[in-house]
Amino acid sequence: MRRANVISGVVLVLFGLVTVFAIIPWQIDPAPEGFVSPRLLPTLMMGVVIALSALLAFNNRRAGVADDPDAERNPISRSEIMALVKIGAVFTIALGFYLAVSPPAAGAALIVGALLALGERRPLVLVLMPTAFLLVLWAVFYKILGTAIL
Amino acid sequence: MEHLIVGFRDVLDPLTLMWVTVGVTLGYVLGALPGLGKATGVAVSIPLTFYLQPVAALGLLIGIAKGSAAGSAVSAILLNTPGEPSSAPTALDGYPLARQGKAQKALKMGLYASVIGDFVSTLILILLAAPLARYALLIGPVELCAILFYSLAFIGSLSGASMIKGLIAGALGVFFATVGLETETFIPRMTFGLLELNDGISLVPLAIGMLAVAEMVVQAGNLKTLDRETRAMADGTSREDRTVLASEWRRCLPVIARGTLIGSVVGILPGLGASVGSFLSYGATRRASKTPEKFGTGMIEGIAAAESADNAVVPSSLVPLFALGIPGSVIAAILIAAFVLHGLTPGPLMFKQQPRLVADVYAAMLCASFILLAVGYFGQSVFARIIQVPLRLIIPGVLLLCCIGAYMETSSVFSIYVMLAFALIGFFARKLDFSFVTFLIGFVIGPNLELSFRQSIQILDHQILNLRSHPIAIAFIVLTAVTIWLIGRGRTRKPYRTPERAGTASISAEAEYQPPSTGRNNR
Amino acid sequence: MTSTTRPRALAAVLSLALAATAFASGAATAAGYPDKPIIMLVGYKAGGQTDLVGRAAARVMSEKLGVPVKVVNKPGAGGVVAAYELKRAAPDGYTLLFHSNSVINSEPLVMKRAELKPDDFEYAGMITAYQVGMATYKDAPYDNLSQFIAWAKKNPGFSYGALSPASRMYMEQIARKEGLDVNIVPLKGGGDMINAILGKQVAMALSGGINYKYPDQMKMIAALTTFRHPSAPDVKTIEENGYPLGMDSYTTLILPKGTPRPILDTLAAALKAAETDEKFKKIVAAANIPIIYKGVDAATDEMRKSAAKNKTIMESAGIQPK
Repeated sequence: MRRANVISGVVLVLFGLVTVFAIIPWQIDPAPEGFVSPRLLPTLMMGVVIALSALLAFNNRRAGVADDPDAERNPISRSEIMALVKIGAVFTIALGFYLAVSPPAAGAALIVGALLALGERRPLVLVLMPTAFLLVLWAVFYKILGTAIL
Repeated sequence: MEHLIVGFRDVLDPLTLMWVTVGVTLGYVLGALPGLGKATGVAVSIPLTFYLQPVAALGLLIGIAKGSAAGSAVSAILLNTPGEPSSAPTALDGYPLARQGKAQKALKMGLYASVIGDFVSTLILILLAAPLARYALLIGPVELCAILFYSLAFIGSLSGASMIKGLIAGALGVFFATVGLETETFIPRMTFGLLELNDGISLVPLAIGMLAVAEMVVQAGNLKTLDRETRAMADGTSREDRTVLASEWRRCLPVIARGTLIGSVVGILPGLGASVGSFLSYGATRRASKTPEKFGTGMIEGIAAAESADNAVVPSSLVPLFALGIPGSVIAAILIAAFVLHGLTPGPLMFKQQPRLVADVYAAMLCASFILLAVGYFGQSVFARIIQVPLRLIIPGVLLLCCIGAYMETSSVFSIYVMLAFALIGFFARKLDFSFVTFLIGFVIGPNLELSFRQSIQILDHQILNLRSHPIAIAFIVLTAVTIWLIGRGRTRKPYRTPERAGTASISAEAEYQPPSTGRNNR
Repeated sequence: MTSTTRPRALAAVLSLALAATAFASGAATAAGYPDKPIIMLVGYKAGGQTDLVGRAAARVMSEKLGVPVKVVNKPGAGGVVAAYELKRAAPDGYTLLFHSNSVINSEPLVMKRAELKPDDFEYAGMITAYQVGMATYKDAPYDNLSQFIAWAKKNPGFSYGALSPASRMYMEQIARKEGLDVNIVPLKGGGDMINAILGKQVAMALSGGINYKYPDQMKMIAALTTFRHPSAPDVKTIEENGYPLGMDSYTTLILPKGTPRPILDTLAAALKAAETDEKFKKIVAAANIPIIYKGVDAATDEMRKSAAKNKTIMESAGIQPK
């Protein structure tokens, strides 16, 4: 966790600096006469983030690698990153379906995509689950409750 | 009081009770499903209530609100994906308990705490609405500002293992809450020209992304380990693990009392919301506990604290609504529409003009508490089986529900983008041990704090000496200073983490539960 | 399953799924408007004043038109997001926006990104008015604007609650003309405003009309519309007080540009039915909202005139879109 802390600290410091010096002035107009500036609170918060993140990085760099041997070298395991990438891809594809085809298609794509990404291979499940979910949702929202959600 | 008896007689008619039960069940199920929540449920059912009798309609809607506040504990405990942001603290201790094979115990305590919190808060509403509301009026922006500062001080005690990271998360939370049109000047802040961001980042999609989707991704990355543990768990569940023991009851009753009180107070104050209530209750209980470092590993008091508070907020948020006609929460605002549609104008005149209808509503609310107990009890044995389903089937379903829940907020895909963005942030926050609890608190309290601060400056005519005429505010400021001092002292005396042990998960009092063998198998 | 029955089962399930989706999309052909459900957008979240009136109107129109009118909330930017959504919709009369006309004639004056003009849309009528005015608590030592100004001169540093920069404008103009020392307190929404008045945190506040729900606790000092409020006929308007700042707002049925006139007329007629519908009247009466109906031409006229007038008012007050 130590190295991760240092990295987090550094990344946050950079994010904070970019925000304070670039994003905030670009996105927030200065205040008109007599008002408390709208930039005040965001800048203040980012200042806190910068200071504390620097402290975090500093604290963790100092103590060296002499921590207890049980500590994780890397808190994020490879399979978790893979999961992030896979699910991210599934969402991207599903959103593509939403924009190009239709919402129900996107819902089906999401379920099927996620099932495949997680290792499900049985075709019956791959077809039944999206159908079942979409049918139930349609029935509940359109028939029973009578509210179109799309 | 005679009115109340009449009210009961009206309500105890099978048709009305049926609708209340439908409401509670619907709410419970919606709450239990990650992603969908009570605001969705209530808003979607309003058209349905057009066709019902007033008492049945109101009973249905209030039942949904109550049911979902209780049901949200289910997914928090079983899947570590809180059904509502207000059940996030429940997951902190509920999920570890579930992984230890004590899911039923955790679920039961969640239910009991919810029902007790709900019932007592309803009583408070009925007995004290009018006087309480009058006192609530004394809380103006200046007082509110002081109270919010006081709540922020709790962040210190909720940071858990790393106070630095907790504060960073809190500051980031406040920062993200400033996105949108600034209230006083209407100057857009970081909206990047997107109209959809004018009203800020919506809490529900953010919470769904950070709490539910991120969690699902993490679980997807640990499929084999988690499934193996689940199978091992199924084999041994003693009676001890399935029920709440008397010793645990004794420890939890004061916790529930405290939680109910905190939840009721938070509900009456305008604009705070159930999340703030449950976080504060969790934080307060942990500070009062003799073993604060064990919170986050399966302390049943944590569940009791969070659930009693988040359920207590619902009826008490109706106090300003009934007594003054002012909606103090999203639910109350939606309920106003329903009330007016059925001829009941919430406000002080309500008691004079329609006392019978009011009594009916009160009776319906009390009945709903009992119905909640029954529905929850029965529902749990059904829901607890979910744990047996392999994760790779659960995750896709949850992801779809999350998308729908996020979409329902604004009927637009934009909320789904928000959800995904914060899912990414939430994923890294979890893995790098940044507390989402303090982030959420910062996010929820931040804007209120800024607005009330600006309002206070104007009301005090830019002169700080005018604080003299606001004794309540002064009291809270003093309280805040004392709390900060106590927290600082508590930390130096009892370090539950020292700089050398910064990162280890072993003593982190608030780290999300991570199966110990994760990572090693996957190197 | 054997290797021959599995594909068959698969085919069965697939066709079932296809059938279900086809069923769900519904049929939509044939002449004669309307012949399928109509979608009514509301630019606020469920539960507000506008949403309430909209749902009540939707019910009346449903009965009159013979097809369901479904309300869909599309909150965001005070209704501007919904207005943009409407711009994208087909001008076939099946998508409409029920919202305050201020989304077209006031919001764009303060919001840079909201480029909406009256000519961007068609109007099928207006039904209720917003009784915007300056309100205060019942036992305040002033009953009308002149008395208030006299009091304000003796109590410098008083607080006034404003819901938006546009609403600050009234007080700023009055303060400038009379030389008052005022602290303007920002308020977020009607609920905040009621809290502030009932709790006597501010001496006066701008109200969108919900103050009439509390006749025993709140009173109106000046109407900010060009007409006297039906709920308070004795209270002078801001124009009668010598300030030409009156701005009216009505709930309006807004449709995409190019919607054929016959469709507009049909909708306007259905909307008019709300004027005499018992349930509708009861609901809006409970919220003290006055029914003021305008037909297609009157509504369009009102839009153009009020947009021009508001522009003049805002510009002379120095309010720029941000």
